[in-house]
Amino acid sequence: MRQRLSLMAGVALLAMSHTLRAQTTLRTDTIPEVVVTGTGTQHLLKNAPVQTEVISHKMLQQYGGRSLEDILSGLTASFAFSEDDMGSQMQLNGLGNNYILILIDGKRIHGDVGGENDLKMIDPATIEKIEIVKGASSALYGSDAIAGVINIITRKHEREGLLLENTTRGGMYNDWRQHNAVGLRFGRWSSLTNFQLGHTDGWQNTATEHTTGTEPPIHDSRNKTVNKYTNWQVTERMAYEVTKDVELYASGSLYGKRIYRPNGKYARYDVHTYDLQYRNESAAVGGKWKLNKYDAVTLDVDWNRHAYEYLFTATTLMEDYEKSAGTLYYPYYPYLTGQTQLQSDQRRTMATLKGVFTLPKGNRLNAGAEYRYDWLKSPTRVKGTTVSDWTAALYTQDEWQQNFRNNMSLHVAGGLRLNWNEQFGVRLTPKVSTMWSIGQPWRIRAQWSQGFKTPTTKELYYRYVRQMSGTYLYLGNTELKPQTSNYWSVGGEYTHGGLSVTLTAYYNKVKDMIALVTIPNYQAPAEYIIQYDPVRTRQYQNIEDARTMGIDANVRYTWRELSFAVGYSYLDTEANQYDTNHDRMHQVTIDGMAHHKGHVSIVWAKDLKANKAAHASSPGEGRGRLGLGLYGRMSSKRHYQIDGDGKGYQIWKVTGNYEFKIQNSKSKMPRGTLFRVEAGVDNLFNYVDKTPHGLHLGTTTPGTTVYASLTIRFNQGKKITNPNYKPTKNLNQDEQD
Amino acid sequence: MNKIKSLMIAMMAIIAGVSFTACDDDDDTPSNNYTVYQNAVNQTVKQQKKHDKVILLVAFGSTWQQAFEAFDTTIEAYKNDARFKDYDVFLSYSSAICINRAAAGENAADGAEVRNYYAPPFWLTAFAQEGVRYSEIVVQSLQVIPGEEYTRVINYIKDFANNSNGDINDEYLANVTLKLGVPLLQDKDEDVNAVADALDALYGDKATTDVVAFMGHGNPDSYDTYKANIRYTQLEEALQAKGKNFFVGTVDMMENFKTHVYDRMKAAGLNDGTRKVYCHPLMSIDGDHGHNDMAGDDLPEGIDEENYTLAQLLALANEEGEVEDCSWKPFFNAEGSGFTCNNETMIEKGLLELPTVRAIWMKHTKAAIDGEALDYYHSKNPE
Repeated sequence: MRQRLSLMAGVALLAMSHTLRAQTTLRTDTIPEVVVTGTGTQHLLKNAPVQTEVISHKMLQQYGGRSLEDILSGLTASFAFSEDDMGSQMQLNGLGNNYILILIDGKRIHGDVGGENDLKMIDPATIEKIEIVKGASSALYGSDAIAGVINIITRKHEREGLLLENTTRGGMYNDWRQHNAVGLRFGRWSSLTNFQLGHTDGWQNTATEHTTGTEPPIHDSRNKTVNKYTNWQVTERMAYEVTKDVELYASGSLYGKRIYRPNGKYARYDVHTYDLQYRNESAAVGGKWKLNKYDAVTLDVDWNRHAYEYLFTATTLMEDYEKSAGTLYYPYYPYLTGQTQLQSDQRRTMATLKGVFTLPKGNRLNAGAEYRYDWLKSPTRVKGTTVSDWTAALYTQDEWQQNFRNNMSLHVAGGLRLNWNEQFGVRLTPKVSTMWSIGQPWRIRAQWSQGFKTPTTKELYYRYVRQMSGTYLYLGNTELKPQTSNYWSVGGEYTHGGLSVTLTAYYNKVKDMIALVTIPNYQAPAEYIIQYDPVRTRQYQNIEDARTMGIDANVRYTWRELSFAVGYSYLDTEANQYDTNHDRMHQVTIDGMAHHKGHVSIVWAKDLKANKAAHASSPGEGRGRLGLGLYGRMSSKRHYQIDGDGKGYQIWKVTGNYEFKIQNSKSKMPRGTLFRVEAGVDNLFNYVDKTPHGLHLGTTTPGTTVYASLTIRFNQGKKITNPNYKPTKNLNQDEQD
Repeated sequence: MNKIKSLMIAMMAIIAGVSFTACDDDDDTPSNNYTVYQNAVNQTVKQQKKHDKVILLVAFGSTWQQAFEAFDTTIEAYKNDARFKDYDVFLSYSSAICINRAAAGENAADGAEVRNYYAPPFWLTAFAQEGVRYSEIVVQSLQVIPGEEYTRVINYIKDFANNSNGDINDEYLANVTLKLGVPLLQDKDEDVNAVADALDALYGDKATTDVVAFMGHGNPDSYDTYKANIRYTQLEEALQAKGKNFFVGTVDMMENFKTHVYDRMKAAGLNDGTRKVYCHPLMSIDGDHGHNDMAGDDLPEGIDEENYTLAQLLALANEEGEVEDCSWKPFFNAEGSGFTCNNETMIEKGLLELPTVRAIWMKHTKAAIDGEALDYYHSKNPE
């Protein structure tokens, strides 16, 4: 058994290094994906006990996505977006960003605006691959992993010497992505610096505003469908190999973004007096101690800050509070052009210690401890003061695998997390997933897991006063329980030759969801009632619940240079939501839900080394690879309670790329230099959702757009030899298990 | 020498500019921003000051074009009225969002159509600045009923009179004459009857054969300041005393939602299928409520807009008797209501757009001028 696990881990590492090699050696063969997100341990994709969807590096390169939103909606069927000023409005199988955990290299991202993460912070050019695990994973990952986990694995510099890379992507609407990397590795030291710059002018799909009744129509609104923005980020990671088995690292990043809002002439519709601005900073230190070939202990300490501000573009009166005293309220505090008003400053410190240990009798243990401290300053929402909250957690997960006769095997992973929070106390979160392999091509997976979301510091300590024909008082609630979910899924997979078919049915029930609820004034603290004399008081409470259920199906087929993929997602939702306008609960479908969503892709990619004859004049100067892709994504109508449903749509895209690597040392260009050209036409049939502003859209995509990108990469030095490298035949053995 | 002087001034300006932009959210002090903003208001008043006395009209505010125009017309009406020939006239919003948006945007960039409806405290302070110091300040409420919003108007004057920011010359404050013009329906007899007369003169013809329903705002029951909601009922009584089919309902007043208005129409036996219901906002301007709650097409969730009945709508009434998320127009037009109500029967006009009703507000201003100055030092809410 141990041998088998060793083999699997070896295979995993092999495949990882293989994936990286694939970028440089231009292989066209299918490389088995290794995934880590479902269990926190490495598995070949098809052997992973938890159903995992992978967007591989090859898929990412061929697709040429402009953003994470573009990638997730184009290459999977489960995501939906409706981008606005507040963020991407991401949904995964019906549940919003609040209930989706996004990880970068296994670490949770930080900072949100109204529960929405800024996905534009993630530069597509730095992504190695994306793993998506749907359903609850809180036993392993803690808070927020209710609808699912998206783990973005970034590219690393794993060669000796120097790496220089530049990718410049330009598209219509002044859409620019600049990615620059400088990697160094000398002796035991290594460093990777990334700089990214993003910009779009945004676009306007319609100049019509939604006007009602007898109101005169407006057809010259300045409001954009997607606003102009500019963002930039610098990241640095330095590592030092203390011994062959111990590596220490330090990393940090700076990020800035400005979202520009248009100004028209209709005060009621398209006049804005401030832009939005984000400022992020992060720092981390940590290390990894490899105990043996398969087991390791890691320690990470992270600090993150996300500040969200209004940047005034015209003189603006705002409600504000005396900055020092924190008590004096200004109903008309004037901000002048160019000044900023802090909306929220979220800071988080996390320490994580975890280890993976191979145990006897086919067991593998993944255990860890985590401490998280959240700090919030929000002068206009959490009056005048700063607030904080901490959570400590211990978790453990055991994977056990047993092989039977006739190629049958059973894999069980069970996990448990003990969370201890400053406010809600102790909570246990379990998870069980199983995979039963019935002979080679068939696998059946079943899972029950719980998810939770810790009340945010804002929900705990909100205090906001609004003057609106009477004083409205909004309060946090330190008595809040975590929002919790139960997730069940069962799925089958058939993999044979180039064909892979998966079918998964799931049911996700979320309860104790937090919403602002009108409470009788006598339930509010008496001092506030005396101070504000509110006409109405609202407080965060655990009151809502929701259930989502659906079926996800994916088919992939590879035949020679062609690969074909199709995905379909059926979704049904129901929720008991609190209606603040009417102060009552009502049963609804979740806003933004579409019953049917799908994607399809056909990719042709060919290694041009066979074409040497064509290069007869300069034999062996380099090797090229050509890829062509056709992609489609579609959605049925998106349901909304008010302001109309979003229209169904289908959008098609073609992409082409050519990659060429200098292999001849006699060439004028340094050996190992890689050129890659990508180009594509998005939204081939020029589908534009022209629903007036103020109503819901099915999609915010602009009409047909064209983009092109050029990558130049110079890589000096050898690939680091991996001591765990195993010959390819081991991989085959695993395949044949 | 002059060159050196201008250079020094320029340098000081640059340093001031740099230190100003350098302040981040932790550094900027309220006093800086207030001073800069107040200076802008001061300048506006200084530039436009022509007389020794001033009238400040105070409205909640709106961002609707139609509302802007109604306010413009009102200012003009005051300026052209011989009774106010000795007065400068300014208009103020109490809603910050409306102030912000009215003053910004494309028009501001073009230098055209900028509407600076500064908040009342800024106007009042500007009136008291050195070099301006109006001898008489008349604040005219543009509210319809003496309710919640009106108390805010009173409090602005109170805060000013008590120099709560400490930035007004006390000697000036002790000598300035402060007057307050009351809302449209302040007096239960005189004002209510005057408004009823004006509305009857305008819409009496319609109310003879058909029905005319006015939509007021009203205060929610928990906030029915001074029980001012009663004015709506009194106005309806006054209008009906003329023997006409007039009704007055509200958006927020308990027992006087559109469903209650309908009940009263039905009790009067008017729902015989022959009459139209004309709807008219009973608010100073025709904004959100007029266009959406009255003339909008909103119907509650689950109602088929092509085919629905009044009984269906009434079955959805909440415990207060109101059918929520339902505009007046489709409500009165429902199958089985016994009325016709459509875009043609929507009278999209705010009360300030009706010269005869506007005249009643102006009469209140004149009465305030002619009356005794109120002592705001001692009574926050004058009886």
